[in-house]
Amino acid sequence: MSVRPPTLREKRRYLLARIDPSGTNPEAKDLYYAVYEAVVSLFGDMSAAAMQPSVIAVEGEHALLRCRRGAEREFVIALSTLTTCRDAPVALRVLAISGTIESLRERVTAIQAPAPKKEDAAPSTLQFDVAPIEVVQWYGHKVDVLEKGFKNTRRLFLTTEDLEIIHATTISDGL
Amino acid sequence: MKITDACVYSYPVGDSSVRRLALEAHMCGFDSIVVADAPAANIHGIDVIPGIFLTGIPAREVQARVKKSKGSSAIVSVRAGDNGFNRAIVGTAGVHILRDISCADKKAFDHVAAKMAADNTTAIDINLFPLIFGRGHFRQKAIHRYIDLMVLYRRFEFPITISSSAQSVLGLRTVREVTGLCSLFGMDEIDVEKALAGVSRVTAAEDMAVKVIR
Repeated sequence: MSVRPPTLREKRRYLLARIDPSGTNPEAKDLYYAVYEAVVSLFGDMSAAAMQPSVIAVEGEHALLRCRRGAEREFVIALSTLTTCRDAPVALRVLAISGTIESLRERVTAIQAPAPKKEDAAPSTLQFDVAPIEVVQWYGHKVDVLEKGFKNTRRLFLTTEDLEIIHATTISDGL
Repeated sequence: MKITDACVYSYPVGDSSVRRLALEAHMCGFDSIVVADAPAANIHGIDVIPGIFLTGIPAREVQARVKKSKGSSAIVSVRAGDNGFNRAIVGTAGVHILRDISCADKKAFDHVAAKMAADNTTAIDINLFPLIFGRGHFRQKAIHRYIDLMVLYRRFEFPITISSSAQSVLGLRTVREVTGLCSLFGMDEIDVEKALAGVSRVTAAEDMAVKVIR
């Protein structure tokens, strides 16, 4: 099938979304399945077919998504119901909607944060709520950590103020 | 009027600290959050309001707990039960929010309870958790309840609050996303604005020495 001339093509809208938590880096295919499931479960097959949701690319911590023009509002609502991607908890935060991919790519390069400092910035032995923890991501005030333990490896979302360096004399303020 | 998320859970119930929740809520466009069992604080410009969430206890015990919490700045929320329970709760002075209407029976919140809620300035909470995390029947039931609730809201104009019931920063949604989700059951932007300011409304009503009748 030959490519249609521009005037006969369907108009589309492109969305730029940040993937939370940072460092998840899902594959585009897995993210597509998650997005499609979110759209179908909320609006059904008919609307999903009309919406034509798609994941164009995953670039670091950002995803480029596509839908048909006029359906972007519903698409954003459906994206806000996306909670997991391949059993890993994720959230998509829509940052921008545009008519071209190019402008979104420019935006990605503009907002691309410096790579999070992991091991070098974080003190080696930290604890939270008496339990020792391992830093996964450290960017600005935000610190994502893993609880150290045999079974318990859940990810915790903290700030720098929450962390206590072991042996330091700190008094908790109860928060 | 402050834009408030009426219920979030911090560590250890959830996986995020109060500070991190406040930081993310600030980025999501909120001015304050109600956090279960947290002390009152101001973090990154966000007011952290302590919340007392009462679940599965009889109405008489709710009244006793409310008496105990009097004088504190905590927001008292009670989980909805059957019709009689809900009427008793919305008529109880000191209870700020009746929550989890989506999980209650179809007839649990009727026009009598709605009138009482409007008269006593008790807010009814719209919990977005079933819309975000629910699938199938669970979500359909919640949307149906909220559509029904909006009919009563338009008639009686009782206060409404919106909560994410987030147990993680990943469960928080931006104000724009909240507006989109609420449009699923017929709330327009003005209604959402009012609902997000619902916590301020119920706490302001408590502070008034004289009840203003319009």
